[in-house]
Amino acid sequence: MTIVTSAPPTHSTPVALARTFLAGGVSGTTLAALVVGVVVESVPLFVTGLVLPVVYGLLRFLAGRPRRAREAAVAPRTALAMIESLKAVGGDTGDIPVKFDLTVAPDDASAYRVEFRQNINLVDLPDYRPGGILVVRYPPDQPWRVKIVKRPTPEWEDRAAAAHLDSAPGQATVSEPPEGGAFDLVALLGLLLGAAAVVLLFRVELFEQETTAAPSSSSTTSVSSTSSSTVESALSGTVSLGPGQSFLDDGELRRAVNSLTAGKDPLQAITVVVQERLLSVVFSPAGVPAPQFDPLSLPYERLPALVKEARTTLGVHAPQTWQITADGLTGSLTIKVGVTGAEGTASLEADGQGQVVRRTPAR
Amino acid sequence: MGWNEFLTLWCGVFGAMALLGFGRSLAGVTRGQRMVRVMGRIERVREPRHDGSLSDGIPVVVSFRDPSTGQEFTVTNDGDCGDLVTTAWTGREIGVRYPPGRPHAFKFADDLQDGRRGLGWPSFAVFLVYVGLVVLAAIDWGWPWALLGVGGPLAVAIACALPRDARHRRRHLDRLASVAPVQGRVIAVVKNVQTNEDGDTFVSRSPVVAFTTHEGTAVLAYCDSGLLDPANSRGRDVTIHYAPDDPGVFTPDLAAERRTRRTDLTCSVVVLLVAVAAVVVGAVMV
Repeated sequence: MTIVTSAPPTHSTPVALARTFLAGGVSGTTLAALVVGVVVESVPLFVTGLVLPVVYGLLRFLAGRPRRAREAAVAPRTALAMIESLKAVGGDTGDIPVKFDLTVAPDDASAYRVEFRQNINLVDLPDYRPGGILVVRYPPDQPWRVKIVKRPTPEWEDRAAAAHLDSAPGQATVSEPPEGGAFDLVALLGLLLGAAAVVLLFRVELFEQETTAAPSSSSTTSVSSTSSSTVESALSGTVSLGPGQSFLDDGELRRAVNSLTAGKDPLQAITVVVQERLLSVVFSPAGVPAPQFDPLSLPYERLPALVKEARTTLGVHAPQTWQITADGLTGSLTIKVGVTGAEGTASLEADGQGQVVRRTPAR
Repeated sequence: MGWNEFLTLWCGVFGAMALLGFGRSLAGVTRGQRMVRVMGRIERVREPRHDGSLSDGIPVVVSFRDPSTGQEFTVTNDGDCGDLVTTAWTGREIGVRYPPGRPHAFKFADDLQDGRRGLGWPSFAVFLVYVGLVVLAAIDWGWPWALLGVGGPLAVAIACALPRDARHRRRHLDRLASVAPVQGRVIAVVKNVQTNEDGDTFVSRSPVVAFTTHEGTAVLAYCDSGLLDPANSRGRDVTIHYAPDDPGVFTPDLAAERRTRRTDLTCSVVVLLVAVAAVVVGAVMV
């Protein structure tokens, strides 16, 4: 018996690869357009994301019409088949899906094996038993797309009643050719390129958006520049300095605090934290009885000297970081300067005027 | 884009589609116009299996001849092959249509003339244009125009159809009562079982009756109405009133048929009155 091999893959052609790439590209472009459209608040881009797959689907449908017409013009082939095995794979009412393993015996070709699923009505199921002869139909160029003819014509019915078929060997199984990994890769490549194209086209809006993005509160505003950035919300403010700058520079701290409080009602702070290039102020919510102080009242001109004192007199010889914390949790305004180095952590405390009241050397 | 612009676009798009469709129909290139339509003949009828699938129809073997090649084809109603065969007897004519040159893609058709001019979609597009115009008028000139726009055509359509339907139903009943009834029997009950997403199962059943006319025609037919407790009707003897010129027109309960006729007539009159009232209210309010 001649072994029937799988039909050559009909879609492992450059055109099929291009089609897969295009489908991946459209998917990536669509997803990216929808997401980027929302992020940059661009209605045309978002609408493009909605319309693009529809247009692509329509074009693909129209482009596929000749092929579908060609396929439809080919009359299906009818043949006898024998049930090797069958198994109901779900359902217990009405039409239930049944997995068939058949030997199909075309009149003008060698017999072959095929596995497929077809819904069979529950009351008709006893008609299908292993070894039973059936009439099947399939497209000549796709022998794996077999369908059982439940109501054959009298001629085929007579042939099935009189037929005796031999089983085809398992190696003669015909199945739909797998697409292969190349198609997955091409589709993924298309998807990534499509998404990247949209992101690149809108990179300016996106990155602007990201730099100026609000962290959480809807009332948050933000400003950016090349040397520093300020992020404010109703209850906090943060100023970051650019590389090469420091809050120990002359007047830098006062300027930063002024920028957070300028143009607003007098604000009370709960805490002010200063590091080398980062200033954070937590403001007190209105009507909340919490220990608070006027952030402008801090002796900012004294703070660089306090940091210098902490770095040089507390036993930390090569301090790596420092931090100033000002709060009124103890009842009066307290400024704490901490330094960290190889020897450990040391700190000093000063009052609201910047006078040192306690030193804690490194241990 | 405001409502006016949207509705204008709506009317424009569907108007263009309607024009395109009518143009294609005039040119004779619609799918419906290119379809080959021939009459086939039922050569063999089999009894459907009890509890079998309702959507499979009555098993028949049909032969038809392709006019372009003269070749004779013998087919069955297996799988998706057009209109469900619900009434069958040997020798009955049945419509068959298929794309030119593809007789294997045949479909059975109860009404062979249906869709012959390919005007279904263009007409639907015209309907959508009309809906758009009514909504536009209601927005621009006030809601009473919606009453006029909906009620007017509805009233005219029902007023035109009502006498014709009344005549048709009277003639239908006259045909059913024109010959003595015959004895029939429910030979099977076929059913469709559907399960929704929640796992609820819905079963629709149709008894299948077999009867032989006075002329000797053995008829098998689905009997969707006129039988009590259809699920348990298998084996029941029934009295069949049928039209002598078409045994496919039959009923097991002539009185119920008369009641249905009266109910349908009453419903039509009520809808007509509602439509006329809408027109009157709309005209007064405008």
